[in-house]
Amino acid sequence: MSSNNPYIPMPVEISKIIDEVDTHDIKTFRFTFLNKEDGENFKYLPGQFAELSIYGKGESPIGIASSPTEPGYVEFTVQRAGTILPGLVTAALHDMDEGGKIGLRGPLGHSWPVEFLEKKNIVVVGGGFAFTTLRSLINYMLHQDNRSRFGDITVIYGARTPGLLLYKDELAGWGKRDDIKTVITVDKGDETWKGRQGFVPAVCKEVAPSPNNTVAVICGPPVMIKFTLPVFFELGFSKENILTSLEMRMKCGIGKCGRCNVGYKYVCSDGPVFSLAQLEELPRDFW
Amino acid sequence: MLKKTAINKATELAAALMEKGTLIAPVKEDAGFNFREISDAKQVDLNFHNTIISPKSAFFPQTEDFVRYQTGKSILEATPVELNIKPAFLFGVRPCDVKSFEIMDIHFSGTGLVDPYWQKRREATTVFGYAFDLDKPAEAEEFYQTLGIGAADPEGSDIFMVKKDNDLLMKAITPRGEKLLTGLNIPSEASADDEKYFDDTVAAGRNFKTRSTCVDARATAKKFEDLFHNTDFWEKMSHACLSCGACTFVCPTCYCFDICDETLFSRGTRRRVWDACMFTDFTLEASGHNPRTKVYQRLRQKVCHKYSYHVRKYGVISCVGCGRCTRYCPVNIDIFSIVEEAVKA
Repeated sequence: MSSNNPYIPMPVEISKIIDEVDTHDIKTFRFTFLNKEDGENFKYLPGQFAELSIYGKGESPIGIASSPTEPGYVEFTVQRAGTILPGLVTAALHDMDEGGKIGLRGPLGHSWPVEFLEKKNIVVVGGGFAFTTLRSLINYMLHQDNRSRFGDITVIYGARTPGLLLYKDELAGWGKRDDIKTVITVDKGDETWKGRQGFVPAVCKEVAPSPNNTVAVICGPPVMIKFTLPVFFELGFSKENILTSLEMRMKCGIGKCGRCNVGYKYVCSDGPVFSLAQLEELPRDFW
Repeated sequence: MLKKTAINKATELAAALMEKGTLIAPVKEDAGFNFREISDAKQVDLNFHNTIISPKSAFFPQTEDFVRYQTGKSILEATPVELNIKPAFLFGVRPCDVKSFEIMDIHFSGTGLVDPYWQKRREATTVFGYAFDLDKPAEAEEFYQTLGIGAADPEGSDIFMVKKDNDLLMKAITPRGEKLLTGLNIPSEASADDEKYFDDTVAAGRNFKTRSTCVDARATAKKFEDLFHNTDFWEKMSHACLSCGACTFVCPTCYCFDICDETLFSRGTRRRVWDACMFTDFTLEASGHNPRTKVYQRLRQKVCHKYSYHVRKYGVISCVGCGRCTRYCPVNIDIFSIVEEAVKA
C-alpha cells in the first residue's frame, strides 16, 4: 500500500498469467511493481495476503501464492468467484491480459509463523483451491537458504479431480526431490490418473504423520478441515501445533472496517493464520 | 483558565471561531438537532439536549472520498483525493459523546496501522465539551452513568463549557484549549463564584442519575462470551429487530465501514461509507457463503462487539450510554435492557 495512506493501492502490472485448471476458472497472476520502491518495500512471508484492487470494480483479499524467496514479483492464484452473482473484481481480473495494470494493497495480515516452525517437522495439508499460501510456504521452506531450518516436510494435497490440481509442474518437481514427501490425491480420478484416490482426511489417516515435534498446517474448504482436524487429534497433535487460515469477508484489510470481526479478533489483522488453540477461544461465527 | 460569556452572545463567540477555522456546532433542523458545519454564526443553537446523529461524523464522515479514477484508463491516472484539512472547532459536545472520541481513538489511531483520515481530523480539531443541563432530568434512554460517565465530565474536551443561568462558563482543559481561550477576546474573566459553580457542576454531574445497572467491563464481557451460544436468549432479544441498521448510524462508537467504487459514466470515486453489521450482506462472501444470515446473529454481533469483543481487544466497553440507538430504533429495541438481561441471565 501507499506509504502514507494504507487505503491507497500501489500500481502493478500483470507480467504472466498461468491457466491452472481444466475448468479455466482459476488462474495464477504474476505482478511486477510499477514503482521500483514499492517492490523493494513489499516484504512479506508465506501466509500473508493482499487486496487486489481494480478501480470501478472494487477490491478482493487474496492470499499470496509466491514465496518471498522469488524476488522481483508477487503471485496470486485467483478463482473467478461468484455462484449467484459474479465476483466483480475476480471476473475483471480474469478478463485481463498480460500487461494489464491493477492496484495492490499489502502485504496484509500475519504469516504462517515461520520462526515457530523452525527445527520442527512440517505436515502441510491442502484441499482444492486453498493451496495457494501453502504453496508459498512449501517453496519458502524448500529454498536452499531455508531448507536446513526445517525438519521433515510432508505435503498432503487433494483436489476433486486431477484437472483441478493447482501448480502441476511444481507438484511433479517436488515428487522428484528426496527432501520432501509429496502425497497427492484426488476425490475421483479419470482414465489418465495413475495416482492416489481418496478424500484428504482419509489420506491423512493413512499417511499418519508422527506428532513428535511436528506442526500440521492445514488449509482447505470448511468440510475438509472439519473432517481432517479429528484425524490429527487422534494422531496426537496438540491444538497449538495445528495451524489454519480463516476466511471472512474483508474490506480494509488493516483491522479498521469491522467487517471480518470474529469475537475479539479481526481476521485480517489478527489472522488470517490461527492455531486451533486460538480458534477455540473464538465464538463459532465464521463457518 | 475559566472565562465566561453570556449565552446570548454565543453568536459572537461562534463568529470569532469561524474566523480561525471551520465551526461544527448543533443546529436546529426539522427533525431535531444535529452537528453541522456552520456557515452563519446565528445557526448555532445551544438550546438542545443532544443531537440525533452523533458528532463522530466530524472525524469520520458518512462518506470519505479516497481516490478519483476513470474507467478504461490506467490506474496510473487515478488520483488520491487530497486530505485538505483545516483547523476546526467542534462546539457543544455532550460528555458521553466526548468519551466516544477516546474509544474511537484507540481503534483508529492507537492500535495497528493509523487511519490517516481520523487522525488528521482529530489533530486539527478543538473539542468544546458541554455539560448536560443538570436542572433537567436525563432522558429516558440515557444510561451513561452505568458506564461511569458523568453528565459534566470535562475529561477529553479541550475546553469544557457549563451553563450558569444566562452565562456560559468556559474552562481550558488541555494546552490547546488554554491557548485558544487566551486568544479569544470575547469571553470575560470568571469570578471565584464561577470557579466554584464550575467545580460543583462537574462533581454533581458524577452523581447525576440516568438509568443505571451494575456493569463491570470484564465481568460483562465474560458474561456475553458465555451467552454467545444461547440462541434462545438472542432470538428473544432480536425478535422485533428489522435489521435496519439505524442504531449503528446514530451510534457514536460504531465504526464499521464499506469501501466502494461509484462510477457514473466513465468517472468514478473510490470512497468509504458507513456500513452496519446489522445488514444481511455485511458478511456475504463472493462464494455465496454468509456466516450471519439470521437477524439474531447480527444483533448478537452488534451487542457482543460493544460489550464483550471490544473489551477483550481494547480494554473498554464500546458504548457511552447516549441512548441514541434506543431512541431511534423503530421497534424499541433497547440495548440497556439487553445488557441488564444478560447480566441477570
